[in-house]
Amino acid sequence: MKKKTGLPDEFEPIDWEEHERIAQKALKERPSLSLRARLIIGFLLFFVFIAVMIITTIVILNKLDNKTQFLVIADRYTNEIQQARRFEKNYFLYGTNLEAVLEHAIIAQELMKASESELKSVLGEHNLSILTQHLEDYLALLRQLEELDRNRDPGVLPQQPTIEKNLREHGSLMVSFALELSEQERQSVRSMFTWAKRWPLVFLVVLLALAIWESNFLARQMIGRLTRLMNFTKRIAEGDFSPIMPARKYRDEFSNVNMALNSMMHELNRRQELMIESHKLRAIGTLTAGVAHELNNPINNITLTAAALEEDYADLNDDERIDMIKDLVSQAERSGKIVKNLLDFARESEIKTEQLNLGQLLQETLKLAQNEIKLRKVHVDFDFDDNLPSIHGDRQQLSQVFLNLILNSLDAMKDKKGRLEISIARADTPGFLVTEVKDNGSGIPSHILHRIFEPFFTTKSTGKGTGLGLSVSLGIIQRHGGDIRVESAPGLGSVFQVLLPITEVPAAIKND
Amino acid sequence: MQKSLKIMVIDDEPIVVKRLKPALEKSGHEVEVFVNSADAMNRFDEEHFDIVVTDVRMDEIDGIEVLSHVTDKSPQVKVIVITGYATIEVAREALAKGAFDFIAKPFKPNELRIVIEKAVEALSREAKNSG
Repeated sequence: MKKKTGLPDEFEPIDWEEHERIAQKALKERPSLSLRARLIIGFLLFFVFIAVMIITTIVILNKLDNKTQFLVIADRYTNEIQQARRFEKNYFLYGTNLEAVLEHAIIAQELMKASESELKSVLGEHNLSILTQHLEDYLALLRQLEELDRNRDPGVLPQQPTIEKNLREHGSLMVSFALELSEQERQSVRSMFTWAKRWPLVFLVVLLALAIWESNFLARQMIGRLTRLMNFTKRIAEGDFSPIMPARKYRDEFSNVNMALNSMMHELNRRQELMIESHKLRAIGTLTAGVAHELNNPINNITLTAAALEEDYADLNDDERIDMIKDLVSQAERSGKIVKNLLDFARESEIKTEQLNLGQLLQETLKLAQNEIKLRKVHVDFDFDDNLPSIHGDRQQLSQVFLNLILNSLDAMKDKKGRLEISIARADTPGFLVTEVKDNGSGIPSHILHRIFEPFFTTKSTGKGTGLGLSVSLGIIQRHGGDIRVESAPGLGSVFQVLLPITEVPAAIKND
Repeated sequence: MQKSLKIMVIDDEPIVVKRLKPALEKSGHEVEVFVNSADAMNRFDEEHFDIVVTDVRMDEIDGIEVLSHVTDKSPQVKVIVITGYATIEVAREALAKGAFDFIAKPFKPNELRIVIEKAVEALSREAKNSG
């Protein structure tokens, strides 16, 4: 079904149904990468990043904890060994405190046993076993010494040079080893702290960058799509029902919305066309009833006259007969006019659109009515701004509308000194021009006011008005996208306001 | 012998009243015609009429108002309404409000004469009954 939009040929859209089918197909066939998936991935990235940071911190803290524990133990251990060695020295100098040496050495050993796991985690198996071995050897030597000491004379100083030497060696090794390790660990702790202080800052910067990028990315995705969607709905509200074409490589929830919108527009379009059809039918129905009613009178007149002519032919004189025949002719003409008016109204009126200057159009129309105006001695005030934007429409039909309004006003003013004011200006409604036709005539009573646009409604005496003028005029203006409004009161005259849209050249249909 | 009655005909189409006057006078009645219903009602108030034939759709005072005016003032007057072909409902309304009969446009003068005859007969019957 080809839909004419009045655009130049190169902008004429391809067949409506075809266009829609292509759009729906394109939307469906995109590979699917849903918005939800993208959101999940985005947030997952954040989570992973932060998790890494936290885990690293926990690991570091754990390590630091272990190291400080170790340092405490190492300190105590070193303390005990040094105590032992002091007493050892005393023993060899004064022969006393051998028990003390043993005591401290054992404490040291117990310390080591108690903290075996911590020591292992810091020193490693190898170092720990070395240390343990040294201590065991030390203790073994001490026990040997103890054995020998039992047999000693208290007055005599111990003379065990080998053991003494060995003890000295072991003791010194143990201490230096422990001190060295402690120092190492202290260094390690210090460097860890430094690192632990720097690392979160770096992380923070990277996190900030990631956050900015991600929010930007997501915002662009969402807001970009939402803006596009908003523009579509705006387009639809203005009456453009062309289908939405996909703009991205992937299909997601927004594609579903676009597809739904396309179906919706299809439905709206269909229903609008159905409504216009039913309106037309109803209008034609009303018209036909009205016409039938209208035709009744001339037909009745013809029937009566012809019957009388037939009945009384012989009895009538020539003048009477001629008078009757004249009546027959005039009533036949009257019928013809009524039928013609109906045909004019019901004709599929095509609007020949061209760019028009309303001021110029009204000037020409006033010229058409000049005779009547002069005859009735009506004073005309015509005011319009030269810089008004132009409208688009059918010159002849619009002229007909304004002529109708002007003639109506003239009729209303026939009993008084008539004053006709016509003006053109920008309407309060944006995008419209309003032409006012104001008269100081008899005015329209309120109980009739709402009926004046009905087809065949007329207050003129029989035969003078067809009652079609205002309804035809309203139809023409509505077809141009405008409206006619009226304000009137008996004795105060009437104001007819014709609203017509300011139109620019219709834009080409974009595929975006 | 038919008594000569006074008939009033009201229709805003000039040709209708122009033709109906001689057509009904042929039957021996006195006929007064009006194209303006207001004038017709003023005349009705002055003078007695036996039968009133009125178009139902007229400007200013329409046929139904004429009917009310007549039946209020003189209920024994026979009112015949002329309707357009499409307004059978109006005819029914008129009959309900006291019209004697109706006739639809378009009609031949003879058809109206027949309805007038019926009205005349009804009038004489009523006259006999009341005295």
